[in-house]
Amino acid sequence: MNTLKDDQHDALELYGEAFTSRLLLGTALYPSPAVMQEAIAAANCDMVTLGLRRQNPAGGDGDAFWQILRESGCRLLPNTAGCRSAREAITLAEMSRELFDTPWIKLEVIGDDYNLQPDPFGLLEAARELIDQGFKVLPYCTDDLVLCQRLREAGCQALMPWGAPIGTGRGLMNRYALRTLRERLDVPLIIDAGLGAPSQAAEAMEMGFDGVLLNTAVAKARRPAAMASAFARAIEAGREAHSAGLMERRQTASPSTPTLGQPFWHTGG
Amino acid sequence: MSRLPQQRFAVAGAGLLGRLVAWRLLRDGHAVTLYDAGDLDTPPAAAWTAAGMVAPLAETVVSERCVYDMGRMALTRWPEWLAELEAPGLWHPHGSLVVAHPQDEGELTQFRRELDDALGAPARYRPLSGADLQALEPDLAEGFRHGLFLEEEAHLDNRELLARLLAAIRELGGECYAHTPVETRPGEVESAAGRRTFDRVIDCRGHGARPRHPTLRGVRGETLQVHTEEVRLSRPVRLMHPRYQLYVVPKPDGRFVVGATSIESEDRSPISLQSSLELSSVLYTLSPAFAEARVLEQGVNLRPAFRDNLPHVTHRDGLTSANGLFRHGYLLAPAVVDHLLAEVRGAGERPFAAVLAETAPEESAS
Repeated sequence: MNTLKDDQHDALELYGEAFTSRLLLGTALYPSPAVMQEAIAAANCDMVTLGLRRQNPAGGDGDAFWQILRESGCRLLPNTAGCRSAREAITLAEMSRELFDTPWIKLEVIGDDYNLQPDPFGLLEAARELIDQGFKVLPYCTDDLVLCQRLREAGCQALMPWGAPIGTGRGLMNRYALRTLRERLDVPLIIDAGLGAPSQAAEAMEMGFDGVLLNTAVAKARRPAAMASAFARAIEAGREAHSAGLMERRQTASPSTPTLGQPFWHTGG
Repeated sequence: MSRLPQQRFAVAGAGLLGRLVAWRLLRDGHAVTLYDAGDLDTPPAAAWTAAGMVAPLAETVVSERCVYDMGRMALTRWPEWLAELEAPGLWHPHGSLVVAHPQDEGELTQFRRELDDALGAPARYRPLSGADLQALEPDLAEGFRHGLFLEEEAHLDNRELLARLLAAIRELGGECYAHTPVETRPGEVESAAGRRTFDRVIDCRGHGARPRHPTLRGVRGETLQVHTEEVRLSRPVRLMHPRYQLYVVPKPDGRFVVGATSIESEDRSPISLQSSLELSSVLYTLSPAFAEARVLEQGVNLRPAFRDNLPHVTHRDGLTSANGLFRHGYLLAPAVVDHLLAEVRGAGERPFAAVLAETAPEESAS
């Protein structure tokens, strides 16, 4: 049987590069680097994100921790978590490009300190500037269609809308908006933030999203490696289900074979 | 002590671990020479910057079960040691409180669940109402509706303890060298003054021993120390917030330490404005009367940590090394010291050998 796992054509494609895993992991909040390493291995992911804002990156003082991430063999995706303006995010992105020799950036511009909701205006401004500078920008955004269209027009070749605010574990809060994004946008969409359970990740993949980025749900699990593995399998299952084609829901519970003793004309009505 | 010196020890690093080890060895009748790269009265050690909590419950939530077991031992060992040091008043076994803003009470529930998951029944905390909180700590702001009382926890006056240990080491004839960076080798210590041989060298240099340990790293922690006469607290109070969990620990003479950030960086530069805002906000939230407190100092230090964030003791011919106490210095030092001394004596049970005698992950023998 040809499952999607074996199918090389089902790679996640971002900015023309292929990734075999559709799960991206964040690297904060783990009880220890050793536990984080186990989780990254169990998730079998290709890309991990890392925050730089508070590490005094210009001094290279975070290197002991970054070295652990490099050893994972994953591509490092620096993020601009903690930045509250386009200018801060752009400066940090430029610094991360030098430090890690990478044009990739997960762009975050935070508009609200309490729930870490993205600032759509600052995000768009920073995305335009960074795309102009040749960055491969993965913007963390809300599920607003017009914002996502503007980010697309700015040159973002993939978007990362939230499922729910960071760290809440609430899953897909606005299915209508997310479905709209999926129907209207022709770029890879990765659900970033807000997922708490593998079933929620599977649902996102069934809806046609291209990947999932997780941190808290794995890092704060009692057994992070086991949770990473559970998510990885849910994401594969959801992806395969989406490709296989989900059946349409029906209004009433209908027997799949004619019930004995019932005249056939009754089911045709 | 009237016994003749049995062996000559060098202890490198006069932080908490180095002082405890030196003191215990001197009490056993050994000759001890203690070295530190920095000052002895205001040492560069993480233990000087720390808040001095002995919080096995709260710390287990962010680490592993063995931290609780080792921490339980600290709760009995500290009062014994402080009695021997004739400083029993430095120990405060009054428990600790955990509170959250009304809008963040989900964080309290999560904390309870993690504690239950880690330790099982019976619950080791007492849920408190706002009135209970006021009864225990009358100076706490009145907005808190719920809290948890972790009765078995304690705190100690850490700077006074470090000073008392140094005094005891000197009284017992310990030879102390400040501002003397050393290299440690089996049976030998090398400083700018030259090489000196010992029966055994014990390396307790924390982050200072990083060159010895390929996987040891420093984790930046920032604290503020403030002074006010307007607030009295009898016990540490931890504020749960979605973004940070910080605590305030009362110190003698109207001082308070609020800490500590945890940043994966070996940056020793002064505290950031962001961190100082977070720490100040915790104080102000717990009691608006902190508004006029005076900021006495900002503390920045590096917690020495192996990749599993657990301590490890390696013991070879002529050289013993103990390191990696991470954010649990006062909580885990008694277990580490008892283990190390049993190892050095070559007799008796070595407590927590399953954790402490293990080589740290990916740490090759150096």
